[in-house]
Amino acid sequence: MPKPPKWLREVGWRTVIGALLLGGIIHILATMAVPFVSSGHAFTRLQASLPLNRMVLLPPPAPGKQALPFLAPDALYAMCRYDISVDLLAVTAPMAETGWTLSLHTPQGDNFYVMPAQETRRGTVSLTVVPSAERLSEFAATPRRVSAQETQVASPSWEGLVVVRAPLKGLAWRAETEAALRRASCTPLKRN
Amino acid sequence: MFVLLAVGGGLGSAWYMIEAGSRLSTQSSGPWTTWSAAGRPDADPYTRAHTARNGLLPLASTLEITYQAKADSRGGRLNSGCEYTIVMENLGATWWSLAAFDGQGGLIQNAAERYAFNSDSVMREPDGRAIITLARDARPGNWLPIGGSRVNLLLIVQDPAWAAAVYEGNAKALPPIQRLACR
Repeated sequence: MPKPPKWLREVGWRTVIGALLLGGIIHILATMAVPFVSSGHAFTRLQASLPLNRMVLLPPPAPGKQALPFLAPDALYAMCRYDISVDLLAVTAPMAETGWTLSLHTPQGDNFYVMPAQETRRGTVSLTVVPSAERLSEFAATPRRVSAQETQVASPSWEGLVVVRAPLKGLAWRAETEAALRRASCTPLKRN
Repeated sequence: MFVLLAVGGGLGSAWYMIEAGSRLSTQSSGPWTTWSAAGRPDADPYTRAHTARNGLLPLASTLEITYQAKADSRGGRLNSGCEYTIVMENLGATWWSLAAFDGQGGLIQNAAERYAFNSDSVMREPDGRAIITLARDARPGNWLPIGGSRVNLLLIVQDPAWAAAVYEGNAKALPPIQRLACR
Protein backbone atom coordinates (compact mmCIF):
# COMPACT_ATOMS: atom_id res chain seq x y z
CA MET A 1 0.00 0.00 0.00
CA PRO A 2 1.48 3.40 -1.01
CA LYS A 3 2.43 5.73 1.81
CA PRO A 4 0.44 8.97 2.02
CA PRO A 5 2.44 12.13 1.21
CA LYS A 6 4.47 13.75 3.99
CA TRP A 7 2.25 16.83 4.30
CA LEU A 8 -0.78 14.62 4.81
CA ARG A 9 0.98 12.66 7.55
CA GLU A 10 1.91 15.93 9.28
CA VAL A 11 -1.57 17.43 9.07
CA GLY A 12 -3.35 14.27 10.17
CA TRP A 13 -6.26 12.54 8.48
CA ARG A 14 -8.80 13.88 10.97
CA THR A 15 -7.88 17.44 10.00
CA VAL A 16 -8.18 16.64 6.30
CA ILE A 17 -11.59 14.97 6.69
CA GLY A 18 -12.77 17.89 8.88
CA ALA A 19 -11.54 20.44 6.33
CA LEU A 20 -13.27 18.59 3.50
CA LEU A 21 -16.55 18.49 5.42
CA LEU A 22 -16.34 22.16 6.36
CA GLY A 23 -15.29 23.04 2.79
CA GLY A 24 -18.34 21.17 1.50
CA ILE A 25 -20.64 23.10 3.81
CA ILE A 26 -19.05 26.42 2.75
CA HIS A 27 -19.40 25.37 -0.92
CA ILE A 28 -23.13 24.66 -0.52
CA LEU A 29 -23.84 27.79 1.53
CA ALA A 30 -21.94 30.06 -0.88
CA THR A 31 -23.73 28.60 -3.93
CA MET A 32 -27.19 28.88 -2.36
CA ALA A 33 -26.53 32.44 -1.12
CA VAL A 34 -25.35 33.97 -4.41
CA PRO A 35 -28.84 34.59 -5.95
CA PHE A 36 -29.89 36.44 -2.80
CA VAL A 37 -26.76 38.41 -1.86
CA SER A 38 -25.27 39.15 -5.29
CA SER A 39 -25.36 42.85 -6.11
CA GLY A 40 -24.83 42.17 -9.80
CA HIS A 41 -28.06 40.44 -10.74
CA ALA A 42 -30.28 41.78 -13.49
CA PHE A 43 -33.04 43.11 -11.20
CA THR A 44 -30.57 45.24 -9.20
CA ARG A 45 -28.92 46.58 -12.35
CA LEU A 46 -32.28 47.59 -13.84
CA GLN A 47 -33.90 48.91 -10.65
CA ALA A 48 -32.64 52.50 -11.01
CA SER A 49 -33.77 52.91 -14.61
CA LEU A 50 -37.22 51.35 -14.25
CA PRO A 51 -39.97 53.24 -12.40
CA LEU A 52 -42.38 51.02 -10.47
CA ASN A 53 -45.37 49.52 -12.30
CA ARG A 54 -44.74 51.33 -15.57
CA MET A 55 -43.63 49.92 -18.90
CA VAL A 56 -40.45 51.55 -20.19
CA LEU A 57 -39.09 51.20 -23.71
CA LEU A 58 -35.33 50.78 -23.36
CA PRO A 59 -33.01 52.55 -25.83
CA PRO A 60 -31.63 50.27 -28.56
CA PRO A 61 -28.61 48.30 -27.29
CA ALA A 62 -25.31 50.05 -28.14
CA PRO A 63 -21.71 49.64 -26.93
CA GLY A 64 -21.39 50.93 -23.36
CA LYS A 65 -25.15 51.50 -23.12
CA GLN A 66 -26.47 47.99 -22.66
CA ALA A 67 -29.06 47.41 -19.99
CA LEU A 68 -27.57 43.98 -19.20
CA PRO A 69 -24.55 41.94 -20.31
CA PHE A 70 -25.11 39.40 -23.08
CA LEU A 71 -28.53 40.87 -23.88
CA ALA A 72 -29.40 40.04 -27.51
CA PRO A 73 -28.61 43.29 -29.38
CA ASP A 74 -30.82 42.58 -32.40
CA ALA A 75 -33.98 43.26 -30.43
CA LEU A 76 -35.76 46.13 -28.71
CA TYR A 77 -36.96 45.69 -25.15
CA ALA A 78 -39.80 47.10 -23.07
CA MET A 79 -39.57 46.36 -19.34
CA CYS A 80 -41.74 46.93 -16.31
CA ARG A 81 -40.53 46.57 -12.72
CA TYR A 82 -43.53 45.56 -10.67
CA ASP A 83 -44.56 45.30 -7.04
CA ILE A 84 -47.87 43.56 -6.37
CA SER A 85 -47.83 43.88 -2.58
CA VAL A 86 -50.55 46.59 -2.79
CA ASP A 87 -52.24 46.31 -6.18
CA LEU A 88 -52.29 43.64 -8.85
CA LEU A 89 -50.75 44.33 -12.25
CA ALA A 90 -52.47 44.38 -15.64
CA VAL A 91 -50.08 43.64 -18.50
CA THR A 92 -50.77 44.11 -22.20
CA ALA A 93 -48.24 43.33 -24.90
CA PRO A 94 -48.38 43.04 -28.68
CA MET A 95 -47.03 39.79 -30.11
CA ALA A 96 -46.45 41.17 -33.58
CA GLU A 97 -43.98 38.77 -35.19
CA THR A 98 -42.25 35.45 -34.69
CA GLY A 99 -39.54 35.82 -32.04
CA TRP A 100 -41.49 38.30 -29.91
CA THR A 101 -41.81 37.17 -26.31
CA LEU A 102 -43.54 38.33 -23.16
CA SER A 103 -41.80 37.02 -20.04
CA LEU A 104 -42.06 37.44 -16.28
CA HIS A 105 -39.06 37.10 -13.96
CA THR A 106 -38.48 37.08 -10.21
CA PRO A 107 -35.78 39.40 -8.77
CA GLN A 108 -33.47 36.35 -8.69
CA GLY A 109 -33.87 35.94 -12.47
CA ASP A 110 -36.24 32.94 -12.51
CA ASN A 111 -38.45 33.09 -15.61
CA PHE A 112 -41.75 31.79 -14.23
CA TYR A 113 -43.90 32.68 -17.26
CA VAL A 114 -43.19 33.14 -20.95
CA MET A 115 -45.47 33.65 -23.93
CA PRO A 116 -43.90 33.51 -27.41
CA ALA A 117 -45.47 34.88 -30.57
CA GLN A 118 -46.10 32.14 -33.08
CA GLU A 119 -47.28 31.93 -36.67
CA THR A 120 -50.68 30.84 -35.45
CA ARG A 121 -50.90 33.10 -32.42
CA ARG A 122 -50.29 36.78 -33.04
CA GLY A 123 -52.07 39.81 -31.70
CA THR A 124 -52.22 41.41 -28.29
CA VAL A 125 -51.75 39.42 -25.10
CA SER A 126 -53.37 40.60 -21.86
CA LEU A 127 -52.85 39.10 -18.43
CA THR A 128 -53.03 39.96 -14.76
CA VAL A 129 -50.10 39.30 -12.44
CA VAL A 130 -51.39 38.13 -9.06
CA PRO A 131 -49.63 36.87 -5.92
CA SER A 132 -49.20 33.11 -5.72
CA ALA A 133 -51.52 31.22 -3.34
CA GLU A 134 -48.85 31.20 -0.61
CA ARG A 135 -48.30 34.94 -0.94
CA LEU A 136 -52.03 35.63 -1.04
CA SER A 137 -52.54 33.87 2.30
CA GLU A 138 -50.15 36.44 3.83
CA PHE A 139 -52.45 39.17 2.55
CA ALA A 140 -55.63 39.91 4.51
CA ALA A 141 -57.70 41.50 1.74
CA THR A 142 -60.30 39.55 -0.20
CA PRO A 143 -59.02 38.32 -3.56
CA ARG A 144 -60.28 40.19 -6.59
CA ARG A 145 -63.08 38.58 -8.59
CA VAL A 146 -62.07 37.67 -12.10
CA SER A 147 -63.91 36.87 -15.28
CA ALA A 148 -63.52 33.54 -17.03
CA GLN A 149 -61.74 35.23 -19.96
CA GLU A 150 -59.05 36.86 -17.85
CA THR A 151 -55.62 35.20 -17.80
CA GLN A 152 -54.02 35.30 -14.38
CA VAL A 153 -50.36 34.57 -13.78
CA ALA A 154 -49.28 33.85 -10.22
CA SER A 155 -46.04 35.55 -9.26
CA PRO A 156 -43.94 33.65 -6.70
CA SER A 157 -42.51 36.97 -5.44
CA TRP A 158 -44.03 40.37 -4.63
CA GLU A 159 -41.55 42.09 -6.93
CA GLY A 160 -40.37 41.17 -10.39
CA LEU A 161 -39.85 42.15 -14.00
CA VAL A 162 -42.06 42.02 -17.07
CA VAL A 163 -40.00 41.91 -20.27
CA VAL A 164 -41.28 42.27 -23.82
CA ARG A 165 -38.63 41.41 -26.41
CA ALA A 166 -39.12 42.52 -30.00
CA PRO A 167 -36.51 41.18 -32.45
CA LEU A 168 -35.41 43.57 -35.18
CA LYS A 169 -35.47 42.38 -38.77
CA GLY A 170 -33.06 45.19 -39.64
CA LEU A 171 -32.56 48.92 -39.19
CA ALA A 172 -35.32 49.69 -41.71
CA TRP A 173 -37.85 48.05 -39.39
CA ARG A 174 -36.74 49.83 -36.21
CA ALA A 175 -39.42 52.57 -36.27
CA GLU A 176 -42.18 50.07 -37.00
CA THR A 177 -41.00 47.68 -34.27
CA GLU A 178 -40.62 50.55 -31.79
CA ALA A 179 -44.15 51.78 -32.54
CA ALA A 180 -45.56 48.28 -31.95
CA LEU A 181 -43.54 47.86 -28.75
CA ARG A 182 -44.84 51.20 -27.40
CA ARG A 183 -48.27 49.59 -27.18
CA ALA A 184 -47.00 47.36 -24.36
CA SER A 185 -48.21 48.50 -20.95
CA CYS A 186 -48.37 47.53 -17.31
CA THR A 187 -50.76 49.26 -14.92
CA PRO A 188 -51.71 48.69 -11.27
CA LEU A 189 -55.11 47.07 -10.77
CA LYS A 190 -57.14 47.36 -7.54
CA ARG A 191 -57.63 44.07 -5.72
CA ASN A 192 -61.38 44.44 -5.12
CA MET B 1 -4.07 25.21 7.68
CA PHE B 2 -7.42 23.63 8.52
CA VAL B 3 -9.38 26.85 8.01
CA LEU B 4 -7.41 27.78 4.88
CA LEU B 5 -8.10 24.39 3.32
CA ALA B 6 -11.81 24.48 4.20
CA VAL B 7 -12.57 28.09 3.22
CA GLY B 8 -10.30 28.14 0.17
CA GLY B 9 -11.51 24.81 -1.11
CA GLY B 10 -15.18 25.55 -0.42
CA LEU B 11 -15.24 29.00 -1.99
CA GLY B 12 -12.89 28.10 -4.84
CA SER B 13 -14.88 25.07 -5.90
CA ALA B 14 -18.15 27.04 -5.63
CA TRP B 15 -16.71 29.82 -7.80
CA TYR B 16 -15.58 27.29 -10.42
CA MET B 17 -18.94 25.53 -10.54
CA ILE B 18 -20.80 28.86 -10.80
CA GLU B 19 -18.58 30.48 -13.42
CA ALA B 20 -17.34 27.62 -15.57
CA GLY B 21 -20.06 25.06 -14.90
CA SER B 22 -19.75 21.31 -15.16
CA ARG B 23 -21.58 18.39 -16.73
CA LEU B 24 -24.09 18.70 -13.88
CA SER B 25 -25.32 22.08 -15.11
CA THR B 26 -24.11 22.62 -18.69
CA GLN B 27 -24.28 20.85 -22.05
CA SER B 28 -21.86 21.29 -24.90
CA SER B 29 -22.12 20.87 -28.65
CA GLY B 30 -18.75 21.47 -30.27
CA PRO B 31 -17.54 24.90 -29.08
CA TRP B 32 -21.06 25.87 -27.91
CA THR B 33 -22.06 25.53 -24.27
CA THR B 34 -25.43 26.08 -22.63
CA TRP B 35 -26.61 26.15 -19.04
CA SER B 36 -29.35 23.62 -19.66
CA ALA B 37 -31.73 24.75 -16.91
CA ALA B 38 -31.16 28.51 -17.30
CA GLY B 39 -34.12 30.69 -16.42
CA ARG B 40 -36.22 27.85 -15.06
CA PRO B 41 -37.62 28.24 -11.55
CA ASP B 42 -36.57 24.63 -10.83
CA ALA B 43 -32.99 25.22 -12.03
CA ASP B 44 -30.14 23.73 -10.02
CA PRO B 45 -28.36 26.04 -7.53
CA TYR B 46 -25.27 26.45 -9.74
CA THR B 47 -27.36 27.66 -12.70
CA ARG B 48 -29.34 30.07 -10.49
CA ALA B 49 -26.13 31.44 -8.99
CA HIS B 50 -24.54 31.77 -12.46
CA THR B 51 -27.57 33.71 -13.73
CA ALA B 52 -27.65 36.04 -10.71
CA ARG B 53 -23.92 36.67 -10.49
CA ASN B 54 -23.56 37.56 -14.17
CA GLY B 55 -26.62 39.79 -14.38
CA LEU B 56 -28.33 37.57 -16.96
CA LEU B 57 -32.04 37.46 -17.70
CA PRO B 58 -32.56 34.26 -19.71
CA LEU B 59 -35.89 32.97 -20.89
CA ALA B 60 -36.80 29.57 -19.53
CA SER B 61 -34.93 26.83 -21.33
CA THR B 62 -38.26 25.14 -22.06
CA LEU B 63 -38.76 27.75 -24.83
CA GLU B 64 -35.34 28.82 -26.00
CA ILE B 65 -31.74 27.77 -25.49
CA THR B 66 -28.89 30.24 -25.18
CA TYR B 67 -25.46 28.96 -26.20
CA GLN B 68 -22.15 30.68 -25.66
CA ALA B 69 -18.87 30.03 -27.45
CA LYS B 70 -15.47 31.32 -26.37
CA ALA B 71 -13.42 29.18 -28.75
CA ASP B 72 -13.56 28.02 -32.35
CA SER B 73 -14.18 24.40 -33.34
CA ARG B 74 -10.44 23.64 -33.12
CA GLY B 75 -10.27 24.95 -29.57
CA GLY B 76 -8.51 28.26 -30.24
CA ARG B 77 -9.73 31.23 -28.18
CA LEU B 78 -11.93 33.52 -30.32
CA ASN B 79 -10.16 36.80 -30.96
CA SER B 80 -10.36 39.63 -33.44
CA GLY B 81 -6.94 38.87 -34.93
CA CYS B 82 -8.58 35.98 -36.76
CA GLU B 83 -11.42 35.58 -39.24
CA TYR B 84 -14.13 32.98 -38.72
CA THR B 85 -17.10 31.64 -40.60
CA ILE B 86 -20.29 30.03 -39.34
CA VAL B 87 -22.75 28.35 -41.67
CA MET B 88 -26.23 28.41 -40.22
CA GLU B 89 -28.16 25.48 -41.62
CA ASN B 90 -30.55 22.80 -40.45
CA LEU B 91 -31.35 24.72 -37.29
CA GLY B 92 -35.05 24.45 -38.07
CA ALA B 93 -35.75 26.85 -35.23
CA THR B 94 -38.70 29.21 -35.01
CA TRP B 95 -36.22 32.03 -34.46
CA TRP B 96 -32.47 32.26 -33.89
CA SER B 97 -29.98 35.04 -33.19
CA LEU B 98 -26.18 35.12 -33.35
CA ALA B 99 -24.39 38.00 -31.61
CA ALA B 100 -20.77 38.92 -30.90
CA PHE B 101 -19.68 40.33 -27.53
CA ASP B 102 -16.42 41.15 -25.81
CA GLY B 103 -15.18 39.04 -22.90
CA GLN B 104 -17.43 40.84 -20.38
CA GLY B 105 -20.64 40.62 -22.40
CA GLY B 106 -20.40 44.15 -23.83
CA LEU B 107 -21.10 44.99 -27.46
CA ILE B 108 -18.14 45.52 -29.75
CA GLN B 109 -17.86 49.05 -31.14
CA ASN B 110 -17.91 49.14 -34.95
CA ALA B 111 -18.65 51.71 -37.64
CA ALA B 112 -21.36 49.57 -39.21
CA GLU B 113 -23.24 49.47 -35.86
CA ARG B 114 -23.82 45.78 -36.46
CA TYR B 115 -23.80 43.47 -33.48
CA ALA B 116 -25.87 40.46 -34.48
CA PHE B 117 -27.77 38.58 -37.15
CA ASN B 118 -31.02 36.74 -36.65
CA SER B 119 -33.14 34.40 -38.76
CA ASP B 120 -35.07 37.40 -40.12
CA SER B 121 -32.19 39.79 -40.79
CA VAL B 122 -29.60 37.43 -42.29
CA MET B 123 -29.08 37.11 -46.07
CA ARG B 124 -29.47 33.53 -47.26
CA GLU B 125 -27.95 31.50 -50.07
CA PRO B 126 -30.31 30.05 -52.71
CA ASP B 127 -30.24 26.73 -50.79
CA GLY B 128 -31.42 28.40 -47.57
CA ARG B 129 -28.09 28.38 -45.74
CA ALA B 130 -26.80 31.56 -44.12
CA ILE B 131 -23.03 32.09 -44.14
CA ILE B 132 -21.86 34.53 -41.47
CA THR B 133 -18.30 35.85 -41.49
CA LEU B 134 -16.75 37.24 -38.32
CA ALA B 135 -13.84 39.59 -38.96
CA ARG B 136 -12.41 42.89 -37.80
CA ASP B 137 -12.61 44.43 -41.29
CA ALA B 138 -15.55 44.50 -43.69
CA ARG B 139 -16.33 41.37 -45.67
CA PRO B 140 -18.94 40.76 -48.38
CA GLY B 141 -22.20 39.09 -47.33
CA ASN B 142 -23.19 38.64 -43.70
CA TRP B 143 -20.26 40.36 -42.01
CA LEU B 144 -20.35 40.41 -38.22
CA PRO B 145 -17.66 42.81 -36.94
CA ILE B 146 -15.46 41.69 -34.04
CA GLY B 147 -12.81 43.52 -32.05
CA GLY B 148 -10.74 43.41 -28.89
CA SER B 149 -8.61 40.59 -27.60
CA ARG B 150 -11.43 38.30 -26.54
CA VAL B 151 -14.67 37.56 -28.36
CA ASN B 152 -17.67 35.67 -27.03
CA LEU B 153 -20.44 34.49 -29.32
CA LEU B 154 -24.03 34.10 -28.19
CA LEU B 155 -26.44 31.89 -30.12
CA ILE B 156 -30.10 31.92 -29.12
CA VAL B 157 -32.30 29.18 -30.54
CA GLN B 158 -36.00 29.70 -29.91
CA ASP B 159 -37.82 26.45 -30.51
CA PRO B 160 -39.69 24.42 -27.86
CA ALA B 161 -38.96 21.16 -29.75
CA TRP B 162 -35.23 21.98 -29.74
CA ALA B 163 -35.41 22.88 -26.04
CA ALA B 164 -37.10 19.55 -25.28
CA ALA B 165 -34.39 17.69 -27.21
CA VAL B 166 -31.69 19.50 -25.21
CA TYR B 167 -33.46 18.55 -21.99
CA GLU B 168 -33.50 14.91 -23.10
CA GLY B 169 -29.84 15.15 -24.12
CA ASN B 170 -30.28 14.50 -27.85
CA ALA B 171 -30.22 17.94 -29.47
CA LYS B 172 -29.06 18.37 -33.05
CA ALA B 173 -25.45 19.41 -33.63
CA LEU B 174 -24.79 23.14 -33.77
CA PRO B 175 -22.91 24.85 -36.61
CA PRO B 176 -19.12 24.69 -36.24
CA ILE B 177 -17.07 27.88 -35.91
CA GLN B 178 -14.38 27.58 -38.58
CA ARG B 179 -11.24 29.65 -38.33
CA LEU B 180 -10.27 30.89 -41.80
CA ALA B 181 -7.10 32.91 -41.23
CA CYS B 182 -5.21 34.87 -38.59
CA ARG B 183 -3.01 37.93 -38.91
